[in-house]
Amino acid sequence: MHLLKVWAVVRREFIERVRTKWFIISTVLGPVFLIGIMVLPAVLATQGSGPRTIAVVDQGSGGLAERVATQLSTGNKFIVSLVKVNDRTPNAALDSLTSAVQAKRLDGFLLLKPTTLETGKFEYLGRNVASIRDMQMLEIALRQIVVVERLTRRGIDPALVEEAQGRIEVETKRITKRGATGETGEATFFLAYFVGFVLYMMIFLYAVNVMRSVIEEKQTRIIEVLVSSMKPFELMLGKVIGVGGVGLFQSAIWGVSALGLLAYGSALFGMIGISPEQAAAVKFPVIGLWFVLVTLGYFLFGYIIYSALFAVVGASVNTEAEAQQAQMPVTMLLVAAIILMPAILQEPGGKLGVTMGMIPFFSPIIMPIRYAASEIPPAEIALSFGVLVLSTFLTVWIAARIYRVGILMYGKRPSLREMIRWARET
Amino acid sequence: MTKESVVDLERITKRYAGHVAVEGLSLSVPRGVVFGLLGPNGAGKTTTIRMTMNIIVPDEGSVRLFGDALGGRHHSARIGYLPEERGLYKKMRVRDMLIFLAEAKGVKRSVGAQQADHWLKRLDLADWSQRKIEELSKGMQQKVQFIATMLHSPELLILDEPFSGLDPINAQALKDVIVELARGGATVIFSTHQMDVAEKICDRVCIIARGHKVLDGGLADVKREHGGTHVAVAFEDGGDAAAAVIGDRSLVAKADDYGPYAELALADGADPQALLQRLVESGVRLRRFERVEPSLHRIFLDKVGADHEQQEREATHASA
Repeated sequence: MHLLKVWAVVRREFIERVRTKWFIISTVLGPVFLIGIMVLPAVLATQGSGPRTIAVVDQGSGGLAERVATQLSTGNKFIVSLVKVNDRTPNAALDSLTSAVQAKRLDGFLLLKPTTLETGKFEYLGRNVASIRDMQMLEIALRQIVVVERLTRRGIDPALVEEAQGRIEVETKRITKRGATGETGEATFFLAYFVGFVLYMMIFLYAVNVMRSVIEEKQTRIIEVLVSSMKPFELMLGKVIGVGGVGLFQSAIWGVSALGLLAYGSALFGMIGISPEQAAAVKFPVIGLWFVLVTLGYFLFGYIIYSALFAVVGASVNTEAEAQQAQMPVTMLLVAAIILMPAILQEPGGKLGVTMGMIPFFSPIIMPIRYAASEIPPAEIALSFGVLVLSTFLTVWIAARIYRVGILMYGKRPSLREMIRWARET
Repeated sequence: MTKESVVDLERITKRYAGHVAVEGLSLSVPRGVVFGLLGPNGAGKTTTIRMTMNIIVPDEGSVRLFGDALGGRHHSARIGYLPEERGLYKKMRVRDMLIFLAEAKGVKRSVGAQQADHWLKRLDLADWSQRKIEELSKGMQQKVQFIATMLHSPELLILDEPFSGLDPINAQALKDVIVELARGGATVIFSTHQMDVAEKICDRVCIIARGHKVLDGGLADVKREHGGTHVAVAFEDGGDAAAAVIGDRSLVAKADDYGPYAELALADGADPQALLQRLVESGVRLRRFERVEPSLHRIFLDKVGADHEQQEREATHASA
């Protein structure tokens, strides 16, 4: 191994990348995007959306419709109008309501039939039925009314019922080994999600950069001059370190910006016209040193293992267009981790999470997510990380052997079998 | 193998799926010579050079550079290699590119920078040193490529088809640089199928065809050993009147006829004097009639052609 040659490649990959517009734009826009996804939900949540305009349709419910309409009108979530439907021509009335919804004069309408109270089955027709928030609000309101109605019929004092229905609240606080943290469940969930997403983006973007660089050297044919001077492995290593260095450099810039945001956050919010109350709704999760170390460790090895795979893809194709197709299997591995994220966050210590955390192609994203969401036994982290590190070395070793042959091959794309043969050749 | 040889190839063989690119090729290139590796397309020149450079590993045989078997990469700071397929990073600035390629060979960064500036100035590219490669014309890119090959003052230059695709001005500039480095003691190996260039600048040549060595030796020896009687003739008009004489197989065994100029290999026992007489009688106006050594081009055609015929005979034989 000739370290000065490796260093020459590292330096070139780093400097040529940091000089590009792409780097400057992504570094600047990264935090803007980051602040955006942290602040926007909070701002939207405090401002809320306007009240929904709905109609309550009485199809002979015997007074229930009036009470429902009244109940829904209290509070400012719904603007309710009551429609009485003549038994003989129900369809005409429903048709005109439907066209009102289509014309956006109405968000939807609720049908109340004589049997509704007994069966507990309401029917709602509207444009916004996919909105979980709207439907939840409607359901909660209806449940309250039905419960009151049913209990009142059995002769229970309505005042007592109302008292029994008093609002309850569960405040979540995360407990770790060091005791209660004061972190809310929401903040923990948010942090985990955020970390998973950022890891996915960073690993993918930078590993694809390694692939692009390999393709460029093949396409411009400069590869032959390079491999006459250094071992293909030295070239690949320099490339992976150089491109990874850009990733770390960018993360460092973002890290410093994030610290700045935490320190001067409220002042900044004031500058862009967000009130202190709204700013307070932004939950800053508590980030410990160990969490940073674990995330960085998994990021580094995740990046290396994927960039080795992407380097193989680059070495096996002739053009970027061909690479689009050839990279699919590798990309799918990474995407699978992201798809599994919500299921794993449901139960971070569950079987799925533990299993996926041991598989080296998933663990770089899964483990930091789980670490953010719950406590993981140190032994489990050590095992998972050990498996990842070993697999990374093995993958890099195999990838380098395929890369070595692939970079000098032009023309037809090699089959998987041919690539396996390259890896076995001495 | 002598102590003085810079490159020693010993019975190297490289097979690819379905065909043999190079088989049992042995070569020895002494220090300080300009060595031409000649052969038709597909003869195995590039494969031989790539094996010499340690880019690909021979299936059999051994490669020694500077007397050891450590390989081209180990000695990259002493070698300037210009591959057949050329390329540079399009987005990189000229000077950075040159320094990087020097560093990649194991040359110190400061030395690389100094040499890059020297060569850019010498080849009139100083004003372009901060431009990106993609902004340069094709001719300028070729110059940058030479600089990348030469800038670390290599002891051994290995150039694969260096003159192909060059405009005449760049070809001249490259030739001047090669001659200058050779005079300064560098060993130069280059492959080509352009015999006229090889004839002018080579000390030694090796002709290969179909992966086999056909001929190898000093240019003068090769010419002497080729034997036969060769005559160069030139005519003032198109030489149409001479066609019948040149076509007479009892006088002329082989003719490399360009019309106003021809190189003739005389038939066994034919007298050049008789040929001259016949030409004068034919009424053609002679501008030149000279007994010459066979040209490298002639030797190449004879040797490679004979090899070609032999191969075909063998193939016919095998299938019969």
